[in-house]
Amino acid sequence: MNNNVLRVDVLPRIGSGLTDSRAISTKKIIPREIEAHVKTIRTSLGYTIQGDFNQEERSNAAMDLFSDPIIENYSLDGTIAAGILPDMGLSDITIQVGFKPGVTDNRAMAAEDGLRTLFPGKKTSVASTISYHFWFVNNIPDIEPIIAVLHNPMLEQCAILDSDERVNNLIPFPILPDQKKRKPETIDLEVEDEELIDISERGLLALSLREMKAIQSHYRDPVVKQKRQDLDLPPNAPTDAELECLAQTWSEHCSHKIFAAKIHHKDMETGESSTIDSLFKTHIMKPTLDIQKEVDWLLSIFHDNSGVIAWNENWSLCMKAETHNSPSALDPFGGAMTGIVGVNRDILGTGLGAKPIANTDVFCFGPPDFKGNIPKGLFHPSRVFRGVHAGVRAGGNESGIPTVNGAIIFDERYLGKPLVYCGTVGIMPRNLSDGRESHTKTPTPGDIVYMVGGRVGFDGIHGATFSSLELTEDSPSSAVQIGDPITQKKMLDMIIEARDEGLIQVITDNGAGGLSSSVGEMAELTGGADLDLAVVPLKQAGLSPWEILVSESQERMTVGVKPEDCDFFEALAELHEVEATAVGKFTDSGAFVVRMGNDVVAHLPISFLHDGCPQLELESEWFPPRHAEMILPEVSQMGKALTRLIARPNIASKEWGVRSYDHEVIAQSVIKPFCGVNHDAPGDAAVIAPIQGQTQGAVISNGIIPRYSDIDAYAMTAASIDEALRNAVCVGVDLDLIAGLDNFCWPDPVQSKKTPDGRYKLAQLVRANRALDDVCRAYKLPCISGKDSMKNDAKIHGEKISIPPTILFSLIGNHKDVRKAVSSDFKFPGDRIYLCGETHQELGASEIAFMFREETQGKSGIGGRVPEIDTSRNMAMYRALTDAMQKELVASAHDCSDGGLAVAISECCFGSDSGARVDISPIMSDCDQIEPWGALFGESLGRILVSVKPDKCKMFENIMTGHACYLLGVVEQGDIITITQGETALISTSMSALRNEWKDTLDGGGPQ
Amino acid sequence: MTQVRIAVLSGFGINCETETMAVFEMAGGSPEKVHVNRLVKGDLNLDDYHIMAVPGGFSFGDHLGSGRLLGNRLRFGLRDQVRRFVRDGKPVIGICNGFQVLVKMGLLPGDEEVTLTQTASLALNDSAHYENRWATLEFDSDSPCIWTKDLTRIRVPVRHGEGKFVTDDRELLDRWALRGQLVARYVDPSTEYPGATDQVLPYPISPNQSWRNIAGVCDPTGLVFGLMPHPEAYHSTWLSPDWTRDDEIDHGRAPSITIFRNAVQYSLQYQKEN
Repeated sequence: MNNNVLRVDVLPRIGSGLTDSRAISTKKIIPREIEAHVKTIRTSLGYTIQGDFNQEERSNAAMDLFSDPIIENYSLDGTIAAGILPDMGLSDITIQVGFKPGVTDNRAMAAEDGLRTLFPGKKTSVASTISYHFWFVNNIPDIEPIIAVLHNPMLEQCAILDSDERVNNLIPFPILPDQKKRKPETIDLEVEDEELIDISERGLLALSLREMKAIQSHYRDPVVKQKRQDLDLPPNAPTDAELECLAQTWSEHCSHKIFAAKIHHKDMETGESSTIDSLFKTHIMKPTLDIQKEVDWLLSIFHDNSGVIAWNENWSLCMKAETHNSPSALDPFGGAMTGIVGVNRDILGTGLGAKPIANTDVFCFGPPDFKGNIPKGLFHPSRVFRGVHAGVRAGGNESGIPTVNGAIIFDERYLGKPLVYCGTVGIMPRNLSDGRESHTKTPTPGDIVYMVGGRVGFDGIHGATFSSLELTEDSPSSAVQIGDPITQKKMLDMIIEARDEGLIQVITDNGAGGLSSSVGEMAELTGGADLDLAVVPLKQAGLSPWEILVSESQERMTVGVKPEDCDFFEALAELHEVEATAVGKFTDSGAFVVRMGNDVVAHLPISFLHDGCPQLELESEWFPPRHAEMILPEVSQMGKALTRLIARPNIASKEWGVRSYDHEVIAQSVIKPFCGVNHDAPGDAAVIAPIQGQTQGAVISNGIIPRYSDIDAYAMTAASIDEALRNAVCVGVDLDLIAGLDNFCWPDPVQSKKTPDGRYKLAQLVRANRALDDVCRAYKLPCISGKDSMKNDAKIHGEKISIPPTILFSLIGNHKDVRKAVSSDFKFPGDRIYLCGETHQELGASEIAFMFREETQGKSGIGGRVPEIDTSRNMAMYRALTDAMQKELVASAHDCSDGGLAVAISECCFGSDSGARVDISPIMSDCDQIEPWGALFGESLGRILVSVKPDKCKMFENIMTGHACYLLGVVEQGDIITITQGETALISTSMSALRNEWKDTLDGGGPQ
Repeated sequence: MTQVRIAVLSGFGINCETETMAVFEMAGGSPEKVHVNRLVKGDLNLDDYHIMAVPGGFSFGDHLGSGRLLGNRLRFGLRDQVRRFVRDGKPVIGICNGFQVLVKMGLLPGDEEVTLTQTASLALNDSAHYENRWATLEFDSDSPCIWTKDLTRIRVPVRHGEGKFVTDDRELLDRWALRGQLVARYVDPSTEYPGATDQVLPYPISPNQSWRNIAGVCDPTGLVFGLMPHPEAYHSTWLSPDWTRDDEIDHGRAPSITIFRNAVQYSLQYQKEN
């Protein structure tokens, strides 16, 4: 073995009270058919270290750093990694997994840091590995399926070790092959149209012909030519750096071209024919700006990394949600992790820097028990789920930000592209000590541009443009990165300190498009910037200028600092062991100038960069879809139907997954994800009290119901907003201070050969936007931030899988006094149960309709009336209920949504660990068509299930006078939930049996 | 007025410093956020503080074993300052990741000479994953621990993946037990006090299957204390997981704040006497 390569491998000891827990959890993910053959699994962690160590240093490193003297054994010769274990001898087979060269390896970086502590000044380089050692009952089975679950070949390599030579076959130290230094290129655009398209496609630029032609004509402008000649740039054609920078800035991901498009909309049902000049401006921005005229708390909307609201005199809150869908499909762990740490940076990059205090996670996956064929190139949904969950867990927990709210939706159409929504709430003082308002950036020409945090590498090149294309089996691995939460946490600590010292003039994150976007965007504020790529710290040598410019390597912020503050800023960075490099300065030259040392490699006028992209013109055509009607079984089947319904993944308890997120760090979580006697009943919205010891709170909730877009995306959107608000009302939100976030995830809505139903999908988008406009205005719920992801299609081997149009509506609101917050669990036997809000016969696209459709192989349809919204009726009831909560008359409140009233009653009983007796007769007067299935399983909006102590019922009823509010029954001791309609028994079931069903579906298993 | 200055360590992925500072303030102390490097570089001196707190978090991402890398930074970079602090008789607390740090650097369960030799460890939970749930702790009333004086039982959140307390020397374990060093243990809340047992309790009463249900330990002097659960996260009544079920709740500070008040009171007394 090379003397300069040291292998330290660490094996957990077993026996006498010690276990190899990692091996036990590995066993759980081994495919069933192979599990039977496995006798024992052991695991060990390995470190391959390049560096010069003598014998004593080697042992010291092993004992003081890599292994735990109490619970682990180690080897220094690779034997443990190869499956030659000190306690069990030779394994039948060992699978060693390590990263490919160039992939972020957090454990290795931590090891390098640890070696610096032990051996200051010594230069080392580490790669981490993990070995899985198998012993089988009889013969060694085909292990391909095991290898497939243990590593992701896109990012990882593996060695199969079963011969006598096994130590020699270990994974060698991963070394990136030398990259040839490539010269900057010029791209000739004076070519035929087909060639222009080809240039865009070859370079993964995602630019349309129209956009390529707009660029072409820019370079034909004589003024531009003259300027370029003066700068020694090719006068007639863009450099590769310029074209890449334009592609990033103009990408759908960054510039939201579909939302900015001119749309010719036709409604085949009503005969409407109209033109919409930008959905965003018309239906999102306008209503919020109108609301802004009426309130004084909308501090910063639309233009920053997140929207900012005034929470009280001293503090403001901000919130942002993003999606990370394409990367999560390719590498669920890394993709999701960068999703969460990425949106944290949006908060850090808001105003002069806000501190993230809460995360939300909403996922849409294929069914976890999917039995059909998975197209090659895709992962099984259960693996996507597992990876995404682990990624968000690592990203959120390691950053010290609690995950307070979320949801998981399952539908086969998310097999191609899963949706991974990550949201973050931030807090900042309204004013800094130097008097500046924290929500306003204050850059001036001459400020120095710093890149802070991680280094730039090959990872993450073309993320922005790639996410603007459909997913195929050829999608590049370089588009995926693995996050490094600790580098980011150190940076975050440092940035907040720098903010409080008044050192930050402007800040934004390096996300999509890397430096090209971050510096390019901020350059708009001063009117120019000058950036030198030669000084940007790199992970690997050999990146060409355009790659440095657009790489989306993680954990980086771009900060503007006054020249006189630079020394202090750099000292702070050094203290926190954060890399901060001056890479340029802001100017008012009117151009974004990029250099590589002395050579200018890009010169882009700010106006062209930000306003040069031509507006799209699109066609949209609405015709209502037809669905088979639902076939309702006998009423006697209701109890059994409820048992099956409550176990469906969309309704089942998510506790197992949620418990592995830290939801209480920062010591502010008042209403947590779970409540009730046993802390296992589902909460509605989260309530946090962000200033420790104080009682003013913030409410965070979300609404998502993609099923309804099968009937009408208007209904889907309206229901999502109502669900978010309803959840917030359940915990007692202050209805005069609520703000929303709209996150659209759509299948490609542009009519083309690839998308023959583009007009319909665009019409769905139009209808969704109209709902957003109508409902947000009515609820006085301004959208302060949002995002869209418009190409959620996957094409694998010719088969196209498109997601259903999906909106996540997130809400952040004020809570006047968290001591009056209400939880969803029924409290005591004897408490009265009320349903607030009207129930209609609205079973269309309900969860139970989907269940019956699956159970009848499509005979029973999802057709029927989809829940309709009545915003003024709902809001009036919400206000009355809020009033009752303020007077402390409400014992519990729970949202009635997926699965309807029957599910809501059951969940409230889980919380009280008791039964209930309910008679639905009173609600039958709400509507002429109502029948028991609709009453119990329909999902009419605007309904909240409430319980009230008997001595408070009168006062409660008085407050609710004038609103639909029906006394339905009483919380009972014991285990039986009984639901009747007058004398007719509908459901009588054991609460605990129901709860077991609800808990089992998604239970990942407890300890052994 | 005498001030109790508390150095609340920060940096490298520690992430509970905000609430740790808040709770010391509620307990009457004067906490300061102190980046570890400020001590290493000599900008600040540990001698100027009366209490040291190593808060929870994910220092260095828990890579190479939770607490190992930060423990090494303290063990190698701050060895003399830390030993002097402890030998001077000043209280130290490590919570969650901070506890892991103190165990890995050998300060807990520790020895009279403060040799900084590791004798115990915190292994991966038997469930093999990170969990956030509430547990009930019982304190040994005969323990010399100054932090847990007058406390019998409290409820606290646990939030960790590596919290199973183990050792490779069972004789040592008996000695720690005898001396009251195994001060905090998971307990079945439905039992009468005192109800702590050596028999490992079922999950999730014991969330990690720690030996003898150990949740926290102190050093032989009772001044250095560490525990996996998060008492600082339950500073106010409205942070419990089921306070909304309590009809008669009298809102205010929660019982676990006593831990921090004990140390602040101890330091005031200490300052008076020295």
